[in-house]
Amino acid sequence: MNLLLVCVLIALPLVGQPVWTPPRTVDGQPDLQGVWTNATITPLERPAELAGKAFFTKAEAAAYEQKVVADANVDRRRSDISTDVALAYNEAWWDRGTKVVKTLRTSLIVDPADGKLPALTADGERRAAALAEQARLHPADGPESRRLTERCILWPTAGPPMLPSAYNNNYQIFQSPGYVAIGIEMIHDIRIIPLDNRPHLPSNVRQWLGDARGHWEGNTLVVETTNFTDKTRFRNTSEKLRLTERFTRTDPDTILYEFTVDDPATYAKPWKAQVTMSRSPSRVYEYACHEGNYGMVGILAGARAEEKGSNK
Amino acid sequence: MLQPYKVWMITAVLLALPAAGQGTAARGPRTADGKPNLNGIWQVLTTANWDLQGHAAAAGPMIPLGAIGAMPPGQGVVEGEEIPYKPEALATKKANFADRLKLDPEVKCYLPGVPRATYMPFPFQIVQTPKFILITYEYANAARTIYMEDPGPPPIDSWMGQSVGHWEGDTLVVDVTGLNDQTWFDRAGNFHSDALHVVERYTLRGGDTLLYEATIEDKNVFTKPWKISMPIYRRLEKNVQLMEFKCVEFVEELMYGQYRKKQ
Repeated sequence: MNLLLVCVLIALPLVGQPVWTPPRTVDGQPDLQGVWTNATITPLERPAELAGKAFFTKAEAAAYEQKVVADANVDRRRSDISTDVALAYNEAWWDRGTKVVKTLRTSLIVDPADGKLPALTADGERRAAALAEQARLHPADGPESRRLTERCILWPTAGPPMLPSAYNNNYQIFQSPGYVAIGIEMIHDIRIIPLDNRPHLPSNVRQWLGDARGHWEGNTLVVETTNFTDKTRFRNTSEKLRLTERFTRTDPDTILYEFTVDDPATYAKPWKAQVTMSRSPSRVYEYACHEGNYGMVGILAGARAEEKGSNK
Repeated sequence: MLQPYKVWMITAVLLALPAAGQGTAARGPRTADGKPNLNGIWQVLTTANWDLQGHAAAAGPMIPLGAIGAMPPGQGVVEGEEIPYKPEALATKKANFADRLKLDPEVKCYLPGVPRATYMPFPFQIVQTPKFILITYEYANAARTIYMEDPGPPPIDSWMGQSVGHWEGDTLVVDVTGLNDQTWFDRAGNFHSDALHVVERYTLRGGDTLLYEATIEDKNVFTKPWKISMPIYRRLEKNVQLMEFKCVEFVEELMYGQYRKKQ
């Protein structure tokens, strides 16, 4: 009787979503394989003008998409030449997506219910302020002054958590017995997730992308990541961040990707977000970021030239 | 129709075939779809990354590193020992070696290319699926996807190239094209142009050893194709995993230190 009840509960569909059973890999795992993109115009936090509104209707979503895409188009002329130059990359470089997430949510954050990042703890505030002050006083003293993206060390696309960014929002998932591997197009990061319940690395060993361990809960891949560095700092998090991600294929062309940020040093309580990943007909290409990082030389040499000029 | 004993005899003869040569039966585990199972974490034990050719021990290019930075001795991995350079290319190789601290792309944490990724002194992991085989290398997060269905010619050259694989019997044969001219073969200055074409062969030799062979062809640099081969060993430590070696951070001072603000 109890067992029956459990079975019924597991079979219950997510609200508004039909039951769909994903195919299996050759070794019997729920199959998440393929090329996926998480490009979307839905912001992490709910915009102020959408306060109190968690979901769009389909018509509202279409109108919002049209407006955001038009506003974001950098190819249309702005006020003057200097503004155009400051926009640097023209539209061809960007791949921000043109659609809201398939759930029609107005923010990626689903908890807290207002779609906003919760307040930082006092310790979180202190660290965030110190970093901001450091960036203000020393914007280009050396490579370490620059953002991790500009240094070709870490991008939000890799995270973890894996969030859409300006371009290259593409992922390829591979599965072999005991492993799920996620190839991330942006700066060719690969996340290898062992599924054998092995312990995490010792706590003195820290990695930019942390140390991931996965297991299946029904058809959902659950990944727990710890051992982050104190320089990874996803949304001001500390090295105590414990990240839980959930990957569920909800139809042939969609993965519902959910994550929970648990870092009591930075946020008083955990917060959650959801992104839908869509199957991509394309392939993943090599993005050799560091090998072509002429920008770093330009930024630092430019700052030195500027200092010389201001000393005259 | 074959009699049962004949089937048995043929099977016995097939199993007894030596593993050397092409298209022979692999020894070792198989995947659920019946292919030789290459999944796992692997690493070579040669000194090929120092020099593909046989070499005696020698002092390294960095005096402060002393014995830590010395070149360990090693037997060569080149079939026939000689790399068939064109005369002008051999001069370039020697100049590369003389200026290797400045010119070796490994010093700058650049992607290693193929075949060098295989015999870097770091492990790599194979994630094998029927349509794609991912090889991810600990060094610099280098990775490549072997397409088991040909996607057509590579659209552009890249550091790790485009890999297209097929099975010849129980050997995984990988055709690598679309490689740029920025990578080297080793720390000895052995190099190539963007005409490089590499054909790799991975053959299981029991559960814990792979035979790796690579035929290298580059009409701009070599007078004829040449071949390297070496065993690759399975890493057997309990809970072994690829760790993170994001070396970009370690080369920032080297590459950008000259642009740093003077305090």
